[in-house]
Amino acid sequence: MTPIVELKQICFTYPGAEKPVLDHLDLTLNPGDRIGLMAPNGSGKTTLLHTIMGLCRPQSGSIRLFGAPMREEKQFSPVRPRLGLLFQDSDDQLFCPTVLDDVAFGPLNLGASRQGARQTARQVLERLGIAGFENRVTHRLSGGQKRLVALAAVLAMSPEMLLLDEPTSGLDTQVKQTLSDILTGLDISYFIISHEFDFIDTVTDRIFSMEKGRILSDEQIHVHAHEHVHKHGQHPHHHK
Amino acid sequence: MDNPFESGTSFLHGLDPRIRIMCAVFLSFAAALSHYPQVAGAYLILGMGLVRLGRISWQNLKPRVKPLLWFLVMIWIFLPLTFSQEIIANIGGLNLSMAGIRLSIMITLKSLAIVLMFTALIATMPMASLGKAMHQLHVPDKLVFLLLMTYRYVFVIQEEYLRLLRAARFRGFSPGTNLHSYRTYAYLAGMLFVRASMRARRVHQAMLCRGFDRRFYTLDVYSPNRWNLLFFIAMLGAGFGITLIDMLWMYS
Amino acid sequence: MHISEGVLSAPVLVTGAAVTAGFTWLGLKRIDYDQMVHVAILASAFFVASLIHVNIGPSSVHLILNGVVGLLLGMAAFPAILTALVLQALLFQYGGLTALGVNAIIMALPAVMVHYLFGAMVGKSAAMTFTAGFLSGLVSVLLSCILLGASLWATDAQFLKTSLAIITAHVPVMIVEGIVTGFCISFLVRVYPEILFKGNRR
Repeated sequence: MTPIVELKQICFTYPGAEKPVLDHLDLTLNPGDRIGLMAPNGSGKTTLLHTIMGLCRPQSGSIRLFGAPMREEKQFSPVRPRLGLLFQDSDDQLFCPTVLDDVAFGPLNLGASRQGARQTARQVLERLGIAGFENRVTHRLSGGQKRLVALAAVLAMSPEMLLLDEPTSGLDTQVKQTLSDILTGLDISYFIISHEFDFIDTVTDRIFSMEKGRILSDEQIHVHAHEHVHKHGQHPHHHK
Repeated sequence: MDNPFESGTSFLHGLDPRIRIMCAVFLSFAAALSHYPQVAGAYLILGMGLVRLGRISWQNLKPRVKPLLWFLVMIWIFLPLTFSQEIIANIGGLNLSMAGIRLSIMITLKSLAIVLMFTALIATMPMASLGKAMHQLHVPDKLVFLLLMTYRYVFVIQEEYLRLLRAARFRGFSPGTNLHSYRTYAYLAGMLFVRASMRARRVHQAMLCRGFDRRFYTLDVYSPNRWNLLFFIAMLGAGFGITLIDMLWMYS
Repeated sequence: MHISEGVLSAPVLVTGAAVTAGFTWLGLKRIDYDQMVHVAILASAFFVASLIHVNIGPSSVHLILNGVVGLLLGMAAFPAILTALVLQALLFQYGGLTALGVNAIIMALPAVMVHYLFGAMVGKSAAMTFTAGFLSGLVSVLLSCILLGASLWATDAQFLKTSLAIITAHVPVMIVEGIVTGFCISFLVRVYPEILFKGNRR
């Protein structure tokens, strides 16, 4: 089975920074994987995703996507739509006038006809339960709605794997649940970066972490609960 | 900063955006180039009629017309008193010029007419439709792309600005005519540009991730309406007719 | 600083439209779609920033900031400012279709000019950067006023007194604009100097 993503010994330092953000990092993502990544802020998670997509070039190391080596922009370009990257800020990803336009953007670029793109877009919106949003203006949607539309826009390209960068940030519990249900219901591999243990635990099979610019796989890390004390503990309460 | 006329169910809202754009361009120029107050007046009446057709309320129209009214007040103060031809009176050292008064009348009629026509015809469609219509009318792709993308992010950036300003206020910022205020506003404006530039980079990356191949596409959606052609002919006819009268008077 | 609809004569309107078309075409030719996103979102920032008003004595005046946009975008400032004007016409009804060409020249031509006049001074030293910014702000407003006055005068020679009055009335605005632009450019050079090289080829 060819891995979808294969990073070997990737080193990346931001220009002007002292320490590398990614330090001889190895990562392999196979078809069927549903993996979460939990790590503190500033550990380089978003840089990792950008490196996979070829949006930033590492100083050393090798990248293979779908088995083929990736070194130049023209190699990355046709492969990007096969990996659906969901950005942290949905406003960065929804740049067309209406929802339908945004969801159809991917298919149109991939060569679909206007008719075909429109149909694909409608189908995806239907699948995510937001069919009524077709003609809505993107900047007027709520945070949760934008997230779903962004997901639709990415799914419309029929990617083989999703890369999600903090998909639940800024969402309320209900939308998180919807997102959770959608993801588990999809027949697609994904790699999710998130702070939220409950969410990641529900939708993924394994959890990785990042430390000192490298990936720590699930054998190396341990997720555990802490005991704590506070007043009024005997009354029903809820920790976030 | 939203456009309250964008969506509506009036007759005008249902017409093909391309027709509306072409009529707006044609009628605006025709009105701008009229030579007689009666002609300009005719366009003003046409403008008022179109506003009616678009079911635009006076409430919504007021904030649009107000800055124009201020401008007209300035015109009426300056032109009759500074123009040098056809002096008809002298008020406390200042000459009153009939040419100035005449031009003021023309400007008033023309500008009001054009604002009304433009609002009724163009402001009554959402930006998405305007962009598509412009594309279909063969306006260069890059320009349409620019317009749509700029519009898309205006609201995002405005929110960012309001947040920054509020943060400054919470730290005791109180604007005045002093260097500190100007510097603060300069930094606010600067921050807007910085964030805009950084966001642009991310949006560009997002476009690349969805296979952007540097070409511009739209999903053409045509709304059939049998009144389209009739309206177009009616507007062209009215415009040509009024212009004809204008020209005949000029050359008689 | 707009001229409203219905003021200018046919020759001025047509010249304005033609010149704007020419400069816009030039500006767009130099930008590929990749840079276009940058130009567009900066145009949005310009649009929002020009809604900021500052106090000058008892009155408050909108910032113009075409000096900043000129320094940042060079020739690309033309399509950017044109777009901002179109949006103003659509969202606020300042200006309209017929005077769009002339208004674009009034706002954008000074922007492009200050880019070529003072752009090289930016980044050389703190004092030079501020001075470049100050001059850009002042000169761009001055040139805008002159172009505005010239359009009026070309429509009817009797507009001369009005044109001169407009220029004189804007002198405090020129100074404030200069100060704000100076601080703004200094800020950008300190905080995010890359922005000065993204919209243009230098």
